[in-house]
Amino acid sequence: MWRKPSEGKPSSEPDNLPVSAPIASQPIDPIPASRVPSQVQAAPSAPAAVTAAAPVARATSKISSGLKINGELSGDSDLYIDGEVHGKIRLGNTRVTVGPNGRVQADIEAREIMIDGNVEGNLKASESAHFGASSRVSGSVLTPRIGIDDGARLRGKVETTPKATARGSSATAKGRESADLQPVPASAAEGE
Amino acid sequence: MNWSAKHRPEATRPATGAAAVRPGPTPSAVPSGNLRISNGLKEFLWLISDVPHGRVLDLGPVWQSTVSFFVDKGYRVSTEDLLRTWKDFLAAEEEGFRSAPVGADALRISPSVLADKFLENALQYPERSFHGVLAWDLLDYFDPEVAPRLMARLSHVLHPGGAMLAMFHSRPAERFHRYRVVDSQTVELLAASTIAVHSHVFQNREILGLFGEFRSSKTFVGRDQVREGLFLK
Repeated sequence: MWRKPSEGKPSSEPDNLPVSAPIASQPIDPIPASRVPSQVQAAPSAPAAVTAAAPVARATSKISSGLKINGELSGDSDLYIDGEVHGKIRLGNTRVTVGPNGRVQADIEAREIMIDGNVEGNLKASESAHFGASSRVSGSVLTPRIGIDDGARLRGKVETTPKATARGSSATAKGRESADLQPVPASAAEGE
Repeated sequence: MNWSAKHRPEATRPATGAAAVRPGPTPSAVPSGNLRISNGLKEFLWLISDVPHGRVLDLGPVWQSTVSFFVDKGYRVSTEDLLRTWKDFLAAEEEGFRSAPVGADALRISPSVLADKFLENALQYPERSFHGVLAWDLLDYFDPEVAPRLMARLSHVLHPGGAMLAMFHSRPAERFHRYRVVDSQTVELLAASTIAVHSHVFQNREILGLFGEFRSSKTFVGRDQVREGLFLK
């Protein structure tokens, strides 16, 4: 009689891309493998080049707790923020993770955005956004898929967009899907 | 949007067999476990169904199920946990009062003045931003002097023809609950740590006064005596 209801934390799959240098001029530590969220494995020390035979993981740079960065971050390295960032984060084809101690006052643009800390700013994820139970987000969220853990606090707007189609094979995209992120039907994917 | 003008598939369904299907609310508006059949939600969805890609404001905490439910239907969802924000605001005010030097301008201010100050930062949306507002039972937890100011702001951000769903307890709530949408006629009550005490039991005339700027209203009373009110601007 009424409309039928229908109802994914992004697992991360390392992309076969060359390891890139840290994205900011301030000291950014490579993240220890044990603390990299999900399945992303960091290179403890960035190798100069990546051979075809070796399994390759995208480098994850880390802004440790105690570090504070003002300005714009851009590049093609995954980023883990456990410190403070003020400004703008534009890492279009990467994953940005804000750890439990992370405090970000910046707009974030990335492929995947995972929040466990505090963020004040607008989030734009071309693939997915996930808010952990300890996340505190104030700002709008623009993403094809969103995952929200119980306990997350979001003050702002959630809007869905069509998933970017230019990048990656369907198999890769399928591999990144997980249970708690819901694919958004095309009918729902329309911006302002 | 208009209650009388909209077609109701249920109301026109012919009765089959001995048990006639009656129009109107589902009779079992009673909690089952932590689930509650919500005629108010059903009606709310019906009222906003005319608006493609409409905007919905959820004044409770953000839940995956609620967001997914509306996003899957093509709506855009905004969330603002108003009660949590209010509590944080009061805590900050209290802290400011305590840290103020003796004799400074730190006299306790009235709830209405607090409300005005609160609204300088809360519910900051442009006029007519939303086609639907889910207020759940939060008005029961605000001071009666604060509620009218909240309502004025909510009315401001609601689009003409927009709908608001609010719940009112007929007696002080025994437990503090949060609500999330399960499906088009079911909400889940989640027992939560008490972030605010039940402040006021609204009488029907008070509710009507509170929603004076709205043009029509409909109330469903559950067996648990919780009144679900649907208000059309």
